Amino acid sequence: MRILALDTALPAISACVLDSGATEPLVIESLPMERGHAEALLPLIERVMAQVEGGFASLDRIAVTVGPGSFTGIRVAISAARGFGVALDIPVVGVSTLAAFAAPLVLGPKPAQERESALPGVIVSAIDARHGQVYLQACSQTGAILLAPTVLPLAEAIDKLPPGPLRITGSAAPLLAIAAWSGHRAAEVEGEIVATPILYVARLGMIADPEGAPPRPLYIKAPDVKPPSPFRFSFA
Amino acid sequence: MRVLGIESTCDETAASVVELRPNGSGAILSNEVHSQIAEHAAYGGVVPEIAARAHVEILDHLVRRALDKAGLRFSQLDGVAAAAGPGLIGGVMVGLTTGKALALAGAKPFMAINHLEAHALTARLTDGVDFPYLLLLVSGGHTQLIAVRGVGEYTRIGATVDDAIGEAFDKVAKMLNLPYPGGPQVERAAQTGDPTIFDLPRPMLRRPGADFSLSGLKTAVRLEIQRLGRTPRPNDVADLCASFQAAVVDVIGDRTRAGLRLFREQFGPPQALVVAGGVAANQAIGHALSRLSTQTGVKLVIPPPGLCTDNGAMIAWAGLERLRLGMTDAMDFAPRPRWPLDAGAQRSHNGKA
Repeated sequence: MRILALDTALPAISACVLDSGATEPLVIESLPMERGHAEALLPLIERVMAQVEGGFASLDRIAVTVGPGSFTGIRVAISAARGFGVALDIPVVGVSTLAAFAAPLVLGPKPAQERESALPGVIVSAIDARHGQVYLQACSQTGAILLAPTVLPLAEAIDKLPPGPLRITGSAAPLLAIAAWSGHRAAEVEGEIVATPILYVARLGMIADPEGAPPRPLYIKAPDVKPPSPFRFSFA
Repeated sequence: MRVLGIESTCDETAASVVELRPNGSGAILSNEVHSQIAEHAAYGGVVPEIAARAHVEILDHLVRRALDKAGLRFSQLDGVAAAAGPGLIGGVMVGLTTGKALALAGAKPFMAINHLEAHALTARLTDGVDFPYLLLLVSGGHTQLIAVRGVGEYTRIGATVDDAIGEAFDKVAKMLNLPYPGGPQVERAAQTGDPTIFDLPRPMLRRPGADFSLSGLKTAVRLEIQRLGRTPRPNDVADLCASFQAAVVDVIGDRTRAGLRLFREQFGPPQALVVAGGVAANQAIGHALSRLSTQTGVKLVIPPPGLCTDNGAMIAWAGLERLRLGMTDAMDFAPRPRWPLDAGAQRSHNGKA
């Protein structure tokens, strides 16, 4: 199986093409980017696919990050992925950014014997949700979910995590580690802390069941709007 | 030649396939529209984040349905067109990115379409109107008179200096606590009202130029409600709506007449007066424009209501018009929340023109 993975959920745009069974991607490209994802994503994919023998026609599946992250960014990559799905008539699967951050700590990249000697602990994915909040997920070393994806104020996040030393990854990892240390909890920052690890988006996308992993946004936060009150006049 | 068109600039998600026939006419093979009115009703207006969320949820399904109903596979298309603005940026990104991805993966030409241009060219799809013609674009977001001289050749003759006409309808409906969307509700209430009960102003009437102003009229309605000194009763609501609509009808008639005069001075006789935008469905306005057409001898073209409001067929048609002239766009085309049709025109005061 050949998969194209896309991500624009965080301040970067990334794409990668991976064949099943291969350890290295055919092509991988990631550009840090605060804004302008919508303009830059398709040209980046065009460059990436130009390096793949067989081009788009050789793809069997698309994987895309569904969030949490920037609402706009999530929608840009999902729109592109779903468009590719229609044009090529192939499945599109969604991968959460929190799962993608955790994946290198669960699946590798260190060899197995090294991993066994590593600290046992709770793998925590943390992504900055702004306004003093973090998107959070925790899993065991084998990938079993201990805390389902949620959003919490930074100050409360540490208390919600299961006991044990914390191995924190993701864009809010440094923030969360500082909060842990100030509460005298063992914690270390590991893995990616800027862009979603796109290679692992491809790997998770490859093993995902298309029925169970639809490419639908995982916003976690509701839109920040309230219904207006009815129009009233004061007849003074 | 067949093009897929995608629209997602406001609160309608739409996809359509349109075919260009050898004789130059167009045929709509499918036209799928999903309106988000229900999602926004509780908020009394379109909420950008809710709109963007709804677009991404449904757009690829609509594209598949548009292809199915046209009886075509994606590979049988000759191009993909998507609205790239003006509009709500979150929604525009969804449609534009989907369109680009379809075109890139299918190795097809891509056309980034100005939503206003699509409205402007619709009369050529429905009625085969020849250039040049005068377009009156009246919707919740736009109020403009535009000289349409050719594909990509537009001159703004007049525009609102404050609120759009559809916006004024919606705001009056809100003041009277009529349900959302308010425009059609005001029109319905006006049917049983007396338009002479409230003496409302006709802003800009007989002024030089062909610009519009609606905010003073809206304020006058508010003052009349306050003057009542009580919550408006059903007959007050009907009379206020009738008086308001009558004022709008007078303003549109006068400003369009002025627009036709300016058009003749600059470009000679127009082939037609074309109306587009959601407000074109208002029958009182339609009758007034029909009278104007008879008086001036300029043919009136109002496309069917479903093609006056936002839809994918108009985007596909604009894509066809551009594709046959070789006007295609690159993959780095950026979404444009503001995108005046006439780049040379003075910037409107509030961007609502």
